[in-house]
Amino acid sequence: MSEAVAVSPDLGGAQWQRLHPATLALALVKLGPRSLQFLPAVAALGFTGNWVWIVPAILAYLLIALAAACLQWMRFRFIVGDDEVVIESGVLSRQHRTIPFDRIQDVSIEQGLVSRALGIAKVGFETGAGGKENDAHLDAIGLDAAQALRTTIRAHRSAPVAAASVAAEAPAPAPVAEDRLLFAMGPRRLLVAGLFNFSLAALAVVGAGMQFFDDLLPFDFNVFDPRDWIDVAADYGLDQWVLAHRWIAGLGAAISLLFIGFASGIATMVFANWGFRLTREPRALRRTRGLTTRTDVAVPVKRVQAAIVVTGWLRKRFGWHELRLQSLASDGEKEKDHQVVPFGRLGEIDPVLGEVAIRRPDDAQAWQHSHRIVALGPIIGATAATIGGGIALYLGNDVGWLGIVAAPLVALIALWAARYHRWADVGDLVAIRRGWWKPKMTLLPHASVQSVDLKTDFILRPFGLATLVFGVPGGSSLASHEIPAIPLGVAQDLRSRILAAGLRQ
Amino acid sequence: MSVPRDLFKDQFMTDTPPAPTDPFAPDALNAAEGLDPVDPAYSHVVRIATALNLIPLAIGASVADWLVMPRIDGPYGLVTTAAWLFALLAIVMLPARRVSRWGYKIGEGQLRVARGWLFRTDTIVPFVRVQHIDVGQGPVERLFGLSHLVVHTSGTHNSMVTLPGLRSDLAAAMRETIRRHIQTDFA
Repeated sequence: MSEAVAVSPDLGGAQWQRLHPATLALALVKLGPRSLQFLPAVAALGFTGNWVWIVPAILAYLLIALAAACLQWMRFRFIVGDDEVVIESGVLSRQHRTIPFDRIQDVSIEQGLVSRALGIAKVGFETGAGGKENDAHLDAIGLDAAQALRTTIRAHRSAPVAAASVAAEAPAPAPVAEDRLLFAMGPRRLLVAGLFNFSLAALAVVGAGMQFFDDLLPFDFNVFDPRDWIDVAADYGLDQWVLAHRWIAGLGAAISLLFIGFASGIATMVFANWGFRLTREPRALRRTRGLTTRTDVAVPVKRVQAAIVVTGWLRKRFGWHELRLQSLASDGEKEKDHQVVPFGRLGEIDPVLGEVAIRRPDDAQAWQHSHRIVALGPIIGATAATIGGGIALYLGNDVGWLGIVAAPLVALIALWAARYHRWADVGDLVAIRRGWWKPKMTLLPHASVQSVDLKTDFILRPFGLATLVFGVPGGSSLASHEIPAIPLGVAQDLRSRILAAGLRQ
Repeated sequence: MSVPRDLFKDQFMTDTPPAPTDPFAPDALNAAEGLDPVDPAYSHVVRIATALNLIPLAIGASVADWLVMPRIDGPYGLVTTAAWLFALLAIVMLPARRVSRWGYKIGEGQLRVARGWLFRTDTIVPFVRVQHIDVGQGPVERLFGLSHLVVHTSGTHNSMVTLPGLRSDLAAAMRETIRRHIQTDFA
């Protein structure tokens, strides 16, 4: 680590560096789960009676794995030059990769639990090239070396462009000496957020696990099977009591369900967002968070493509919202959009939006509605469910009632939610709202739109309607931004306006 | 841009009298929207591609019919006939219709590509948003002197917009037109 720190600031005499030696310790830790592959071999040795060989075999396995890790460590080296990073890796097939600083859009730093204990961090280079395999990373180097590396690359990136971007970057004049704190979450806020994060997903996982391991468990008992509970109760003479006090028993079950839901909600929130801090750096918004795995991610302000404000029907009543920013780079492997305010008031979200030059439409904004035809899909589904339910009843299966009762409910909710498909063209951005159960508002600057689809089909065409779909960099490929079912003329006007804004740029 | 748009609107708005053109006539859609049709020879390319896809399927259906139906005393020949009829229809009749639904317009600093009828998509890509351009040619396209143009944008949706059925010299000319407009705005 000390050598890495010594070399980093001195870029002129750049020389080859290696990963932090503690990486080897990390490799050993990672061996833990992987050694499961070795279990069948151990079992085979045991069954054949060759007990004496088990310990040497395990030792040999560990030795080979450690040797492989050592070899990889020795064959991995990198050099930080004046304007590029060069990485050489591979034991048998060598790989030589050059990444110019100009092409590095951001440097992310990630620390797992073990890494934090060892004081090392994994550094990822976002190059904006599509696909995970194109992103290079150093796994892992010393934390201070990682931060120095990031500072170096950022300093390089800001130096030549700063003069040109001062005019464009109106909201924040380039020389901001101190990093400003935009948003932070204390334990109290995390607790409130966790309460709204109520989730029975953990219960489902446990339930599925119990189902799956049912045959493997030494005892014949399923926590989720009421009959098992009744059997237990009968053993202790409790069945009479439960039958007599079934309301109390039901209440107890409900309370324990609620407890599990709240506890898992709070736990996931605390693990993900402990010590949440969002700061404004000269060119980026920087977010640090996490209890066990701490991540440090910067979202360059100029790369923000769109803002998404999400809430839930209940938390909206209490004035809580979540802000995500869609950027060129994606936020980790699962989340596509960067969560910059996980749980906050609109008053806290607006300043953050201001930093990326996006203005939220105020309450007086007049919204235009999508045609109710957007509810057609769910209604067709509900009709099918009704027919299916009817057939089931005809065949003498009582489950059919479920379809017949649920279908009108689904259709009603779809019709109701269709009223919440709204949009407004606010100067230089389009605001799109949808959803009643999970209201979502997308703020899409005209300048982010790369292409526009105008779609009609045999259902929309007789109504004179069309759907606009926008091609925007970043985000998920499954959830594109669209305004469904608006009058054709309106759609064409909006399309011309948005494209004209792109041409002016 | 405004004239064809109004025509299109008139044709499909319910409260205005229908335009005199038959909406199902080939090239009526493109004319109404002010789009240029792709080369008619492209229908041969589509036809050959469809044939290469469907004939193996039809053969497979025939073999399955021959193997299964005698065993279960089913109506032998029904599946075979249906499969070959469908394949024949898709190979002989449909390609020309499908090709006539493709349309494009290049100019005013943007490329416009429209396709489909039941599900019609009309895409506009401004030249300044184009990241890079491909002109491609498959072996079947080469037989007819055709190429396809692929425009890449940085958007996640529509990261590739493909326009098939262009004469090779026209595709090359379009590529040059777009290339002159491309600016790298990656700073």
